[in-house]
Amino acid sequence: MSDNILDNNVLIEVKDLCKSFGNHEVLKGINTTISKGEVVAIIGPSGCGKSTFLRSINLLETPTSGMITFEGTDITDKSVDINKMREKIGMVFQQFNLFPNMTVKENIMLAPVKLQIMSKDDASKKAEELLQRIGLSDKADMYPAQLSGGQKQRIAIARSLAMNPDVMLFDEPTSALDPEMVGEVLSLMKELAKEGMTMVVVTHEMGFAREVASRVMFIDEGVIQEENTPEEFFANPKNARLKDFLAKVL
Amino acid sequence: MKSAKKKFFVRKGIILSLCLAALMSVAGCGKYKMVTNVDELEGSRIGVQLGTTGDIYASDYEGDEAGTIIERYNKGNDAVQALKQKKIDAVIIDEEPAKAFVSKNSDLKILDEEFTVEDYAICISKENTELKNQINDALRKLKADGTLDAIIKNYTGSDDEKGKTPYAAKNIARPNGTIIVATNAAFPPYEYYSEGVMTGLDIDMMQAVCDTLGMTLKMEDMEFDSIIAAVQSGKATVGAAGLTVTEDRLKNIDFSDSYTTSKQVIIVKDPDAAASSTNLSEKFKDNFITESRWQYIAKGLGNTLIITLFAILIGCALGFLIAIVRTSYDKNGSMKILNAICRVYLTVIRGTPVMVQLLIIYYVILASVNTSKILVAVIAFGLNSAAYVAEVVRSGIMAVDNGQFEAGRSLGLNYRQTMVSIILPQAVKNILPALGNEFISLLKETSISGYIGLMDLTKGGDIIRSITYEAFMPLIAVALVYLVIVMALSFGVNKLERRLKKNER
Repeated sequence: MSDNILDNNVLIEVKDLCKSFGNHEVLKGINTTISKGEVVAIIGPSGCGKSTFLRSINLLETPTSGMITFEGTDITDKSVDINKMREKIGMVFQQFNLFPNMTVKENIMLAPVKLQIMSKDDASKKAEELLQRIGLSDKADMYPAQLSGGQKQRIAIARSLAMNPDVMLFDEPTSALDPEMVGEVLSLMKELAKEGMTMVVVTHEMGFAREVASRVMFIDEGVIQEENTPEEFFANPKNARLKDFLAKVL
Repeated sequence: MKSAKKKFFVRKGIILSLCLAALMSVAGCGKYKMVTNVDELEGSRIGVQLGTTGDIYASDYEGDEAGTIIERYNKGNDAVQALKQKKIDAVIIDEEPAKAFVSKNSDLKILDEEFTVEDYAICISKENTELKNQINDALRKLKADGTLDAIIKNYTGSDDEKGKTPYAAKNIARPNGTIIVATNAAFPPYEYYSEGVMTGLDIDMMQAVCDTLGMTLKMEDMEFDSIIAAVQSGKATVGAAGLTVTEDRLKNIDFSDSYTTSKQVIIVKDPDAAASSTNLSEKFKDNFITESRWQYIAKGLGNTLIITLFAILIGCALGFLIAIVRTSYDKNGSMKILNAICRVYLTVIRGTPVMVQLLIIYYVILASVNTSKILVAVIAFGLNSAAYVAEVVRSGIMAVDNGQFEAGRSLGLNYRQTMVSIILPQAVKNILPALGNEFISLLKETSISGYIGLMDLTKGGDIIRSITYEAFMPLIAVALVYLVIVMALSFGVNKLERRLKKNER
């Protein structure tokens, strides 16, 4: 632990993280460290706890026990203002969760303006920049219901980016998309990775994990069974469950 | 399969028609019976005003072998209307109102049978002996100098005497406070509405008493059976409404000395009378134009709108608060105690009739405070509506996908900000039809305001009915006014709904 504090590249540190829903123990002690600029892909069979782990990082799920440190602050500590922490932890959902009663631009501007991080004008400028970047400037005044799934997810990413987060969490960002729309979302994520954004991605896209991730993590039965560079991970799996899993999905 | 189904429907049809037949026979069983003397009251349907001495006399017949039926009405006037339509066979009521009713309705007559003479007196709380003595002194003085006699003759004297000696309030200093008099102004000639103001023997008599005592008179019109309760609870100082001193009443309340006497008589339909043949336009004139009677409806409408508007405001403010407390508890277990309070509130409010709540607030909770009745009604209907609005809003909040909540929180918004800027706008859009519905019910529920003597739209129509003895016009007019407001309200809600839906193309 002392090593990690000295190493100021460490962004997130997870120690003995456990989470139970009633009697059902989903996470049984997760230990890992995520450094700045890393792109961590989390894979595993459904129900293994990978989404629960991801959602614990910004406390959408409250851990039963264990510790999560973000930029040196233990966010499981009750006295920590979790809202302040979340401003720096972006999150992208499987179901996009855009606000249906607001235009695309209003979706992006809402948090920076409400949290008084930017003035309305600055937030508007920022939203226009982001929309330009994802190639959806012409959709600024449309409502989410008028957009395709791929467009919605790119806007959801832009909404997170508007807060200038230090890390982005992606919870199966392409699972709810039609196959022809997966590409546009993945290429945007690839771009972000290239620019050095720290990303934690729960995904079923093995291609993305292999190509973009700097580290791949396999979670099963509530623990990290194996983690490694993508090359080693896919070419040389050691864990028996992982071998089994890869045999099924590849 | 098909034939079995058909059989089922046939059987259903038979059962249904049997039920209908049973229902009709029940409705038809009360056949009109001509009553010509007091002995024939047995086995007839007798109408009385609830809580009057007529009620007490008639109750002796109730449950007898002849199957006498007693119909109790809130107003003597309602009983007379029922008699006119042959819904009942006879009405037992005090002599003077009976004369007033019969003089205005040529198809009715009073039987030459009389019950015993009874005393009218002013009722007053048992604790208020001092005022009782003062009133008795005043009555004695008024009897001695002939004032009381003049008042009584002015209303109940022979045709030559009637209207000749009206009492005018004296222009004197009134340093000794106010007497609030509870009455039921549908009881001519003792108390009734004429040209928009309450008038009558009791009112002149009370004015004379107040003039003698140097006090200010304030009349409060309410349901007859509420008068004694109002005096007991302190809502009114005394009650003067042709009240007869009876054993039962003496258990609860004290009475002054008698100021006049009366007796109960029987009104029946006059078989010899020609059917009244006033045409529609004359009836319309009589109900709305004469003495500007439409003003009762206009004034009532104003009160109904004020009560509804402010009750909606209270209901929405409180309802949204309760809904937020309840959903916060459901979502993250916070505000445990507040949630428990809210649940009790919802259970109590939704578990009791709004009319009972209104009476409790007026006679129990705000008994000793002299609040305006409109305020009482606004509070009662507002508190009631809040419970329903709360559940509607809660269902609306619950219907918003939890992902919306998580998206808001993940961006760094706190619970309140997420609720206000993300969840509630979506919830409101979803619940708008249900909210509109609640507002419409609320508007219509205010029609019970008359029970605390407030002149709302319904009561306005009732007053006209008590003057003209005509049910059709005032009731239809009142119904039409409600209908128009409800239609306007629905139109507004629909328009708002369409505007909010524009982003869901």
